[in-house]
Amino acid sequence: MSEHKQPDLARRELLGRGAAMAAAGVTLAPGVMLYGVAQAKPADEPVSSKVRWGMLVDTTKCNSGCNACVEACDKEHGLGNEQHSRDGQRTQYIRKVELRHKFTGATHSLPVMCQHCETPPCVDVCPTGASFKRADGIVLVDRHICIGCRYCMMACPYKARSFVHEALTDQRPHTPRGKGCVESCTMCVHRVDEGREPACVEACAADGSRAIIFGDLNDPNSEIAQRVKTYASSEIRADLGLNTGVRYQGI
Amino acid sequence: MKRLLQLLSMVVLALTLSAPALAGEGGRTPLPTIPAAKGDQCVEDTADMRRNHMKYLKHHRDETMRQGIRTEKYSLKQCLECHVPAEGSMAAGGKESEGHFCVNCHVYAGVTLDCFECHATKPETTAQFHPLVSPAAMKAERPDSNGLLNRLVGVTENKTGVAHE
Repeated sequence: MSEHKQPDLARRELLGRGAAMAAAGVTLAPGVMLYGVAQAKPADEPVSSKVRWGMLVDTTKCNSGCNACVEACDKEHGLGNEQHSRDGQRTQYIRKVELRHKFTGATHSLPVMCQHCETPPCVDVCPTGASFKRADGIVLVDRHICIGCRYCMMACPYKARSFVHEALTDQRPHTPRGKGCVESCTMCVHRVDEGREPACVEACAADGSRAIIFGDLNDPNSEIAQRVKTYASSEIRADLGLNTGVRYQGI
Repeated sequence: MKRLLQLLSMVVLALTLSAPALAGEGGRTPLPTIPAAKGDQCVEDTADMRRNHMKYLKHHRDETMRQGIRTEKYSLKQCLECHVPAEGSMAAGGKESEGHFCVNCHVYAGVTLDCFECHATKPETTAQFHPLVSPAAMKAERPDSNGLLNRLVGVTENKTGVAHE
């Protein structure tokens, strides 16, 4: 198992940098800060393994009835335009999961999407090399060479992937989708490459919950790296040792 | 009589299929309709693009997909930006009848085009989200370029609603 790359900062230094960052951040609304999360890389530059994109979901802030992230995702990627598929067949990149502890009765609501593992099982099993991980940790399907065998759907412990069962029209230019291919959350790679945040993160912040934050886990100055360093966070099915890029706080 | 009817229906079918090709120049040789593009100059010479556009596109596709290189030159999205009118301008300028730049030529040359099974066939009109199912796609299949486009990319009306697992 590979070791986690965590920022190595003394507490004093961290607080100092935190204060400097707060000054550099943009205040969207009282209590809502926008950190300089991602600087856009030049368009002609390949992505680098110095960056590890990740998301941190604070389940204590995620409201049970709220579906803002799912709706934003559907809108961003043009999902839900299947005409003939049953509900169980429709593509979903994110789904909301409600958890209840049988003994204590504690309930949690959390979004589950592709967890962007460091060692993704979907990549291991793909017979054509269509399922792959970019240098910056984003796990994608290259639909140009996907043959639709769905091994990756079987291998994924998070049930994160969907298969397109029918011919589609009116795709969005940045998210090509078509019949016979497997697809999943792309961590809004088209936005990330432009230096923007994924649509779900944006929607969650706009909604006021700010339960999902996005950033570079390898950058000790990023908000996400500081949060995972300061507070206890966990992976879903941490026992599998996949070192997911999506982490959860409060479960 | 039956034979004559068969022959007639074949002629009608042939005419319908070749309508966009015949609609080109008035000369004896049928030519594909090439809708006007934005700008004066393509990313390479016209002759080079005619011969090599697929190589440029494929090379760029792998770089974008695997390495996140998102330069605009040779990007399919950028081709469509210039060569295909967005939805709004089609309705306003009546350009729809001219058909789709890529499709017209591929139909003329008889070369299958796989890009649009997944990729958007037109650029987005604005930064706003356009409706998931556009009015154009809701219309019944006609032997115009939309119909041809659908036929070419294998999008057929599945009336039975049978989905396969």
